[in-house]
Amino acid sequence: MTSHKAAALMASFRPHLIPLERNLTAAVFPLMKIIPAEFCVRQARAEGALTPDSLVIESSSGTMALGLAIVCNWYGLKLTIVSDYACDDALCRRLRDLGATVERVPAAAAVGGYQRARLDRLHEIAATERRAWWVNQYHNVCNAGAYSGVAAQIVEALGHVDCLVGAVGSGGSACGTAKFLRVLFPDMRLVAVDTFNSVLFGQPDGPRTLRGLGNSLMPGNLDHRMIDEVHWVTAAEAYAATRDLHRRSSLFRGGTSGAVWLVARHWAAAHPDATVVCLFADDGTRQAHEIYDDAYLTEHGLWLDRLPAQPLIVNGPEAAAGSWSMFAWNRRTYDAAVAQHA
Amino acid sequence: MSVPQTSAAPARAREVSFEQRETRRVGRAVCYGHHGELFQGQIEDMSGRRRRCLVSLPCVSLKTEVVIRPARASGWRVMPPHKIKAQRAVELTAAVLGAPDLGGTIAVSSNIAEGKGYGSSTTDCVAAIRATASAVGQQLSDSQVADLCVRAETASDNVMFDGVVLFAQREGVVLEDYRRSFPQLEVIGIDTDPTRVVDTLVYPPAAYQWHHIQTFTTLVGALRRAFASGDLRLLGRIATASAIVNDEFLPKPMFSEILALVSAHALLGVAAAHSGTLVSLLLDPRDPALPRTIDAVLRALHALGITEVSRFRTTHGGPMPMTRVAP
Repeated sequence: MTSHKAAALMASFRPHLIPLERNLTAAVFPLMKIIPAEFCVRQARAEGALTPDSLVIESSSGTMALGLAIVCNWYGLKLTIVSDYACDDALCRRLRDLGATVERVPAAAAVGGYQRARLDRLHEIAATERRAWWVNQYHNVCNAGAYSGVAAQIVEALGHVDCLVGAVGSGGSACGTAKFLRVLFPDMRLVAVDTFNSVLFGQPDGPRTLRGLGNSLMPGNLDHRMIDEVHWVTAAEAYAATRDLHRRSSLFRGGTSGAVWLVARHWAAAHPDATVVCLFADDGTRQAHEIYDDAYLTEHGLWLDRLPAQPLIVNGPEAAAGSWSMFAWNRRTYDAAVAQHA
Repeated sequence: MSVPQTSAAPARAREVSFEQRETRRVGRAVCYGHHGELFQGQIEDMSGRRRRCLVSLPCVSLKTEVVIRPARASGWRVMPPHKIKAQRAVELTAAVLGAPDLGGTIAVSSNIAEGKGYGSSTTDCVAAIRATASAVGQQLSDSQVADLCVRAETASDNVMFDGVVLFAQREGVVLEDYRRSFPQLEVIGIDTDPTRVVDTLVYPPAAYQWHHIQTFTTLVGALRRAFASGDLRLLGRIATASAIVNDEFLPKPMFSEILALVSAHALLGVAAAHSGTLVSLLLDPRDPALPRTIDAVLRALHALGITEVSRFRTTHGGPMPMTRVAP
């Protein structure tokens, strides 16, 4: 693959900017994680950490794996993905067709869930494979640093931006895009969308139904001092919002995009003079048989008749429970924002 | 800075003329300078190739005229004698245009101070190249002039182009053509270190890190928007962001104090020269409060002890020559 061809392929993965409301535009990603995957690999190659005979390794439940598989396939690099049950058979077949080796850990760790179990296995591989190079999306600064082109595209299309709404998992897309936008618009608000039982903003760790956002471990790419507001959304709310988004706009997205839509639409309506941009990271295909299946939702207690019109406003992470909740984080450090209420 | 008042010149206009003198013609050309850069940085493509690039902040009050008087003998005499880059540009151009034996005198007259970041050497070279072409009765495209210019002086500003471009100053190629003329800005120009001159060729280019280069990617996207929509506020923010990054590499005295004036007086932004000591405060010429703002900024600069201050408009300014401002 020549770099010219690779550049053309990367251009095909640029987000589409879709106006959803008068003052709300969505950046709709075909496969968001290919952006950090490509940049992390490019930087590692430039710095010499990654050589043609390296084995690229990463822990991922899905989209980062696919992004890496595509990029490593372009460059002829070997890739091993450590995943779990969330990496469904269809995705595994796709990854293997691109030349990747996929391992699925059988069970969650007692502390840190599936993420901890995946990382434990990844460290085993790194210990035995001398040429292993770990992408480490949670802590590799090139993950957040990859989003300058997304910021460029947003500014080129919209000019001044007052607010960015994004889901947080690794912190890469939300903090990365916001960091580059704030080079131009330092007052821009950053609204983070998370889910309950995620440790990112001070909730206790626990099982989470909503995938693609939230975390059981604290990623270095999440810079809490950039965050103005945190919203926690339940799976049922996110799924209902995903369907609402689909019916209104025909955008066929996953649950993370739905959660972001719920929060961004409310924020834009509450701030009619602000230009608001939201990031839709996941496409709908992988979860279509759940989110878009009424019987499945009813059976699993995930059916919601009506979306809440606004969040409960809470004064600390521990007070957030049960349904969509908002906490004014106010660009504090984790300790300052959480300890105050502990 | 002593800049004589000049009549308002059409922005970026090329003035090339010639007259018959024996068998050779006298070639004459003018090129306008700039007041540092609106943007400067380095961008990277997917193959990892990095290119330095810039957008100049034009100033039509600054200009160089070169007159070439061919003589029968080969060899050149350049006036003033230290304008060796202009002579190199003439020799290269003559060779490229099939007149390697051309010789005579090169008279460079310029109101542009050297080593301050006004692009004095590039304006000299551009005028010299066009005057040489005129002397042998030929015309060169802007891109050909850019190419010759980079060969004559290693790195060039983009003063040879009529419109606004993102210019790779070391390769001499246009990376983006914004297909319009530079918007009109009111500028308060500051020489932050009147005693210092910077030699463009000796000073090492900024060793940008990857995160700087990623930031420039965002700024280049923003430049497209700012020029396409005439968004002066965005243009000012881009200039400020670029100036802040570059101040890490070529620090300007009092930069943080000057930067503070931008928010204190709600200015559009601040631009800095990539080589040299110039800083430009950018103001919106359509702002009804402009005269009051200018007064307040001049007083603030005076309070900071900054005395080398001038005022001008970038282009299309009408009778608004660059003037030195007495605090």
